[in-house]
Amino acid sequence: MIKLKIFVDMDKEEEYLRSMAKKGYMLKSYNSLGFYTFEPGKPQELPYKIDYRVFKNKRDFQQYRQLFQDSGWIHVCGSTYSGGQYFLPSNNNKYSAEIFSDIESKAARFKRLSNQSIFAFTITICYLTAFFSMNGFNFGKLGYLTPGLWKKSGNAFWFALLFETPFVIFRFLPLILMLTLTVIYAYWSFKARDLYNKKKLAG
Amino acid sequence: MNFDRFLPLTETTFYIMLSLLEPSHGYAVMQNVEQLSENKVKIAAGTLYGAFENLVRQKLIKAVATEDTRRKVYVLTAEGKEVLKLEIRRLKHLVNISGNVTAGEK
Repeated sequence: MIKLKIFVDMDKEEEYLRSMAKKGYMLKSYNSLGFYTFEPGKPQELPYKIDYRVFKNKRDFQQYRQLFQDSGWIHVCGSTYSGGQYFLPSNNNKYSAEIFSDIESKAARFKRLSNQSIFAFTITICYLTAFFSMNGFNFGKLGYLTPGLWKKSGNAFWFALLFETPFVIFRFLPLILMLTLTVIYAYWSFKARDLYNKKKLAG
Repeated sequence: MNFDRFLPLTETTFYIMLSLLEPSHGYAVMQNVEQLSENKVKIAAGTLYGAFENLVRQKLIKAVATEDTRRKVYVLTAEGKEVLKLEIRRLKHLVNISGNVTAGEK
């Protein structure tokens, strides 16, 4: 079963995954766009723990997973660049019921998420700037280009219009996608920063 | 270099640095801290990973190459050792000036 859900607050996300496991749906994989893949199974109590980290390289990621594995955690999903890292305690976890042992380090997840969102935001802004400068900041060039299209009438008009519409959509689609992402990343960076400031005080 | 800006160390940082007088990997540090603190301080994996990262950024510890590439091994740098010594001196002073408070208790 695949579900689309977007969380900025990882505490709420842990709660969501726990409630899914109680209903008999175990997390199998997650992708950064917000798609959770669940596997049906026996309903059970699974205390998911989430960290947020993007790694410089595969080796750092592997060593990170090893440290968790050594201290009694199963890495359920997450990859070198995915950010979200999902853990469950293994059977021999006697050490700690939490992956963070103080408030500050637990809250620091949100600082990393915020910084990563600012980074992604910067990239989308660069893309948009490049996109517009290539067009000479002329939005007209994105629309219908057939000369004299709007002066045509009858079948000739409809044919030309329908013929060109897919091209217009293709010219606009990346732009709309990028604009949406820009807004989402901006929102995430603010929201995650806000959560960081609140949680480092409240726990 | 002015090391005073690193002081005082948090209890967690103190235990981690004390454990890294000898080169150790993460889980060894966790176990060592647990033992040194008589089970009072337990550092969880995510917290320890972040602490290592901060200490590397501050150049108080560094990664050392080992045969076991699956685990990263860290050790105190010369600066780290200096900071640890200053902190111990600071703590000793605190203990010295408060000797009378607990006199007579077991």
